[in-house]
Amino acid sequence: MHIRGLFTKIWAYTGIIVVSVVIVFLFAFVFWKGGSTITWEFLSTPPAGLVLGSEGGILPAITGSLAFTLTAIVIGAVPAISTALYLVFFCKSRRMESMIHLVIQCIAGIPSIVLGLFSYSLFVRDLNFGRCILSSGIALGIMVLPFIEVRAEKTFRELNPAMIQSAYALGCNKTHTILTVVLPACRGELFSGIILGGCYAMGATAPMIFTGAVAFASNPTSLFEPAMALPLHLYLLVAQGHTSLDMAYGTAFVMMAVILISNVLVTMYARRRQREWKQ
Amino acid sequence: MRRITNIIFKIILCILTGVTLAALAFVIIFIVKEALPTFNDVSVHEFLFTNEWMPVEGIGSGARFGIFNFIAATVYVSFLAMLIAIVIGIGAALYLSCVATDRIRGIMYPFVDLLAGIPSVVYGFIGLTVIVRLFLKVGVHTGVCVLAAAILLAIMLLPYLISSCSETLLKNKEAYLRAGNALGVDAWYTISTVILPASWKNILTAMILAIGRAMGETMAVMMVIGNANLFPTLLGKSESIAAVIALEMGTAVNGSTHFHALYAAGLVLIVLLFIINVGINMIRNKLL
Repeated sequence: MHIRGLFTKIWAYTGIIVVSVVIVFLFAFVFWKGGSTITWEFLSTPPAGLVLGSEGGILPAITGSLAFTLTAIVIGAVPAISTALYLVFFCKSRRMESMIHLVIQCIAGIPSIVLGLFSYSLFVRDLNFGRCILSSGIALGIMVLPFIEVRAEKTFRELNPAMIQSAYALGCNKTHTILTVVLPACRGELFSGIILGGCYAMGATAPMIFTGAVAFASNPTSLFEPAMALPLHLYLLVAQGHTSLDMAYGTAFVMMAVILISNVLVTMYARRRQREWKQ
Repeated sequence: MRRITNIIFKIILCILTGVTLAALAFVIIFIVKEALPTFNDVSVHEFLFTNEWMPVEGIGSGARFGIFNFIAATVYVSFLAMLIAIVIGIGAALYLSCVATDRIRGIMYPFVDLLAGIPSVVYGFIGLTVIVRLFLKVGVHTGVCVLAAAILLAIMLLPYLISSCSETLLKNKEAYLRAGNALGVDAWYTISTVILPASWKNILTAMILAIGRAMGETMAVMMVIGNANLFPTLLGKSESIAAVIALEMGTAVNGSTHFHALYAAGLVLIVLLFIINVGINMIRNKLL
């Protein structure tokens, strides 16, 4: 075998082995270290202790993260899916299409911390919302918008054209076709995109540190109050040092478990859909 | 009636698409608006090219705003991470596109995508408890350093690089591998001399996207880079632009030069990303 070919072969195998080891290590490490912390009490009580978080649990952080994520999804997914629909079914000019694509790419390129700055100056300060779930939710929503749009647009474009043409041939207009044929057919893929986008929003800390997430709050009851969030809670626990390390592992465990479960669900769903299409 | 609903629906879609476009405009306008007052007190040149950052007036010396070290650290750590990630990433992509069967690929793609889902704080946390401790044992002072941040960032970039690289490689493999086999050339030789070179252009595009992510990454880098205003060296502490903003935004007095300077730093980050995007694009078009 030629030396160059041999080198490439070794490169390929080393690469995939390193990647696999890293992934398995990351999950195994967190699950192994955090597993002992996870009890019903940890999941269902607020943090306590002389140094906050060194005892007690993470319930308000879980509910808070849920509130942030849902707000972000509502704010991000609606314009994202609308933009995708507009691009695929209504937009006729090439120039308009490429401009919208450019804008989406630019939004995807904005660092999340800068989105936090933006939300702080506009919503927290100028519009006087104060630090609240909504201010963070908007920043997170803008962050997940391109993520969902790209997936939605891909789904719409990959849809079997015969289906849409049949609808047109039966005399349905575009609105009717979209609402009764396109959206139901793409329901699963859209949900997958939204769930993964939600995971992305849940894990982001930078946009919410100075716009809505705080060190301690009770369970959120309205959009206009601050809340705790899992990633910020983890960061603060780590910053406190050794006393809270077990709790930090526990918090990381919860986040990793959410990521793992939603990814597995989405993958399994996509697999099932593929099989349906083949039949 | 149908016609009216159609028009209403179309108008709603247009408005929501407009919202998307407006979001970008709003973000940029607000960042620029908040950033500009900085330059009443500090000249652009001083802001970009000096390295003293003293946001609060000390005894006997005025406040100073120079972010050169932060810019250097951001660029340094991103490119270092990129370098590590591309070496491992292309290897893994080669395996996925040229060795793996469809079945293995179907399992490995979602597996690698898991990396993209892990929150950056968790990366930072694992970095602190594993990589930093390892560096400490080897003898690096305090363990936190630029290299630790770069390794962590490299892992975070892997899923993006692998998915786009293996897509290109797969396409080129389908185009060329059979021809190579028909000529009796060893498969790995075809891969290294035809398929890989044919894919460079798209790999560069993937690198642009990844470097954008790397430069904007806040939490993971902030937790392991040490956060000291120093010029970045491989095993020394440093501080990235995003980390400065995240750390100091909470304490900056609203409306002070410090406050505006943090927005200006954010603006610099966006401009930097833009320059690198355009730069790599030009190199790509010239060279390939």
